Amino acid sequence: MKPPPMRRIGIFLFVMAFATISAVSARQQTKTTSSPAAKPTMVALDPSEAKSLGSKSAPITIEVFEDFQCPACRNFYETTVKQLIDDYVNPGKVYLIHRDFPLDMHPYSHQAARLANAAAELGQFETVERALFDSQDQWSANGKIEEAIASTVPGAQMKKIRDYQAAHINDINAAIERDRTLGVKRNVSQTPSIYVTSHGKTEALPGGGVDYKLLRNYLDYLLRQ
Amino acid sequence: MVTSAVTTESQSPPRAWPRALLLLGRVILGVIFLVAAFTKLYFNGGWHLGDYHFFFGMAINSYNLLPVWAVELLARGLPWFELALGAFLIIGIGLRWSGIIASALLLIFIAAMTRAYIMGLEIMCGCFGNNEKLGPWTLVRDSSMLVLALAVTIGAFLIKKRSAAISS
Repeated sequence: MKPPPMRRIGIFLFVMAFATISAVSARQQTKTTSSPAAKPTMVALDPSEAKSLGSKSAPITIEVFEDFQCPACRNFYETTVKQLIDDYVNPGKVYLIHRDFPLDMHPYSHQAARLANAAAELGQFETVERALFDSQDQWSANGKIEEAIASTVPGAQMKKIRDYQAAHINDINAAIERDRTLGVKRNVSQTPSIYVTSHGKTEALPGGGVDYKLLRNYLDYLLRQ
Repeated sequence: MVTSAVTTESQSPPRAWPRALLLLGRVILGVIFLVAAFTKLYFNGGWHLGDYHFFFGMAINSYNLLPVWAVELLARGLPWFELALGAFLIIGIGLRWSGIIASALLLIFIAAMTRAYIMGLEIMCGCFGNNEKLGPWTLVRDSSMLVLALAVTIGAFLIKKRSAAISS
């Protein structure tokens, strides 16, 4: 039995639409394999590696573009990153890299990023990052960052960080700018923006932070591959 | 006189343009659903048939509407559902039901998006791919799609009614 004429037109149009979408995807795939710029990006590691946690030889690398004054970044840090460090970074499954992406809308985020970078060079990144996010509400209101994190970072340690920052301010600004440039290159438009690299391929996760349970499921899937 | 005019009109062949318009509308709507499904399965420069649900689940979860188990279920099923719905609309299978389902689906999407927008959530829409920011434009676009879906549904019902009247 032949289908009615409108149905036949519909079947024809569906086949055409499907073929068009497949052709477009095939063309895009050809482009991505032929053009080096469009290839899935490999992680270009920061030579200093000071703002990273975990083992560099971990099977998965996670890069997080963050702004210390961004509430979504704090939320992501508090609800996801802390657990991620305990369950995946410390056991050597994930290499976690912090990338600075201070947004101009936040008046103190550059200041916080400079402090974190100076701390990173002194091997204190994890402590200062945690202190910055934990006390974000406090220093976001008045810009008194050192005062806000004083309970976690003692005076002597803070002095060292302050001195290092003063002596290497150009290098620190350059390091922040390098991260920002990398973010712009990857079309980062909001923070936190998360990139997961595994088996030589980098995937951008949906922006704005990720629930820990969903991230865990994805990481377990990657580890099983 | 009046009787003969009515008889003449009822015996005239059905006009072609309403059907053509319906065909155009349903094909556009169907292609939109096919593209929506496609962008959830093909992104970051490649197919993700094995892991698409992780990415789409993260986008759905950012709406803060559903428990994680429901998010995972929806993330797995929705792209294939959109693919089937798009095919049904384009081919014209069960057009009235396809139209109703498409309208209902779009209505749910718009409600969730409006809620997130009002709450000031800076999240990804999850409509076409996983990295499209939710904003006024996405709301306007999805509302236009809802208008089209409603027009297709109403058109399908009217044409069916007319065909039934003519055949009886």
